[in-house]
Amino acid sequence: MSDRDRNSGLLGTVFAILSGVIVSLAVGVWALGTPGNDPVGAAAVTAGTFMEGKFRWLRAEPENVPQDWVEISKTVRGGDPQRGATLIAQYGCGSCHVVPGVARAHGTVGPDLSGFRDRAYIGGVLSNEPGDLVDWLMNPTTHAPDTAMPDLGVTETDARHMASYLYTLRGS
Amino acid sequence: MGSTLDQFGSQTTFADAGIGAARTVWLTNSMSIISLVILAFVMLVALFAWRSTGGGRVWWIIGGGIVFPLITLSVLTVASATTLRSITGEAQPEAPVIEITAYQYWWDVVHHSEGRSLRDANEIVLPLNMAVTLQLKSNDVIHSFWVPSVSGKMDMIPGRINELTITATKEGRFRGQCAEFCGLSHPLMAFEVLVLPVEEYAAYLESLDEDARDAVTPQQRRGKEVFLTSGCTACHAVNGVSENGRLGPDLSRVGARASLGAGMWRMNRGNLAGWIADVGDMKPGAQMPSYNDLSGPDLRAVAAWLESLK
Ligand code: HEC
Ligand code: HEC
Ligand SMILES: [Cu+2]
Repeated sequence: MSDRDRNSGLLGTVFAILSGVIVSLAVGVWALGTPGNDPVGAAAVTAGTFMEGKFRWLRAEPENVPQDWVEISKTVRGGDPQRGATLIAQYGCGSCHVVPGVARAHGTVGPDLSGFRDRAYIGGVLSNEPGDLVDWLMNPTTHAPDTAMPDLGVTETDARHMASYLYTLRGS
Repeated sequence: MGSTLDQFGSQTTFADAGIGAARTVWLTNSMSIISLVILAFVMLVALFAWRSTGGGRVWWIIGGGIVFPLITLSVLTVASATTLRSITGEAQPEAPVIEITAYQYWWDVVHHSEGRSLRDANEIVLPLNMAVTLQLKSNDVIHSFWVPSVSGKMDMIPGRINELTITATKEGRFRGQCAEFCGLSHPLMAFEVLVLPVEEYAAYLESLDEDARDAVTPQQRRGKEVFLTSGCTACHAVNGVSENGRLGPDLSRVGARASLGAGMWRMNRGNLAGWIADVGDMKPGAQMPSYNDLSGPDLRAVAAWLESLK
């Protein structure tokens, strides 16, 4: 056995003992804490948040700012909700639908539009997203030929305003 | 011109749009001034009474308790009788006659012109600056006719004909309202008044005499068929299509009205379809059944056809 081998054997032993001591110290400290109290975990979380902040700062460019994708998926381009509410009253949607926030809109012919933002489908045939909603409002009978909801001659601009209003209606 | 539903102040007495309304405003103003004067007078008398040293009590009682009320009340009686007459308008034998019958919760309107009886509903067209005699009737309970911007108010009593002469002095659209509680949907019993220059008024009368517009598109033709086969004709008349229904408003030119359901909703296809499918929800107590047994396409067709009747 050479000197070199002996030295590295020694070093390995010291290292193993040292790490054993460190680990048992850590476990000891951890075990001393009250149940539910997790100083190590808390430290990790703090460190993680700190590092995340650093990383975000590193890649801070407009498109890298964290996005609310749900919010974006329900945003109707060119739609003004306030204008939409007025149009919903003018087109007479309230004679068939309950539309929260629109005066005297308590119709019971079609579905209640409360919480419409969270509905999965439109009329059970289109997925509930802005483009499809605008299409539905303009031509419901194209998508559901037997529906009772009439084509009301809604223009695309008007449909966009109304759709953006409908997406302000959240579930409970 | 859009419906009065979009128009702020379409129901104000201060619009100065008719002789009866103008007199009402005049009466309100003069009564306010006179009561102010009387109040000042009474305060003065009270002041003097406070400072007086007694004596003349008998004269106070005779003067203040008998003579003063006698004179004021006589003056008021004569004044109110004459003012009331001027508000309801003196009867004018040559004036055109419009017969208006109130039903729970809508208005039947018949223009009598050159021996013809021309029927419309829920919208009253009046000639500008011309006295018109309204014959006000009721088919069921007591209602009251009131167009605040144009005229005074008059009750419509079953079994009676109340005459009201009105003269509209401003062109435009005004809003009227049943002014006597008449049942569940009394608040939903309004109407629109359209004041037109005399020539346009004459043209309007002619349009009432014509047959309703033909159904043009396939959807409209289907709508007419649905109307004829779904029992609507038992209650509704449409000139040249079916003219016997009298239990509901005449629909010969329903699409030309600015509003639906006696002044309550904008006239458009959506509201028409909603109305037909579920009138019981829109106007509780209305004497029309809800037609939710129509298929979707049939419902849309009949709404499209009615909308085209202008
Ligand atoms: C004559 C009655 C009627 C009118 C007027 C009407 N709708 Fe509808 N609407 C319906 C019916 C019935 C349905 C169900 C359609 C289906 O499932 O085929 C519906 C479905 C919808 C839906 C899908 C709801 C869901 O949860 O699936 C939306 C959104 C909608 N209508 C919006 C409108 C708007 C906005 C207007 C006014 C511009 C309007 N509707 C006018 C009868 C009507
Ligand atoms: C039993 C009689 C009856 C039947 C049947 C009936 N209606 Fe009516 N309808 C009425 C009455 C009454 C009113 C007035 C309701 C009110 O405003 O109070 C009315 C009002 C209406 C109005 C509104 C008119 C306006 O000037 O605003 C329309 C449109 C209408 N009906 C369409 C129909 C159609 C379409 C059918 C057939 C599918 C039908 N009705 C069947 C009695 C009837
Ligand atoms: Cu009433």
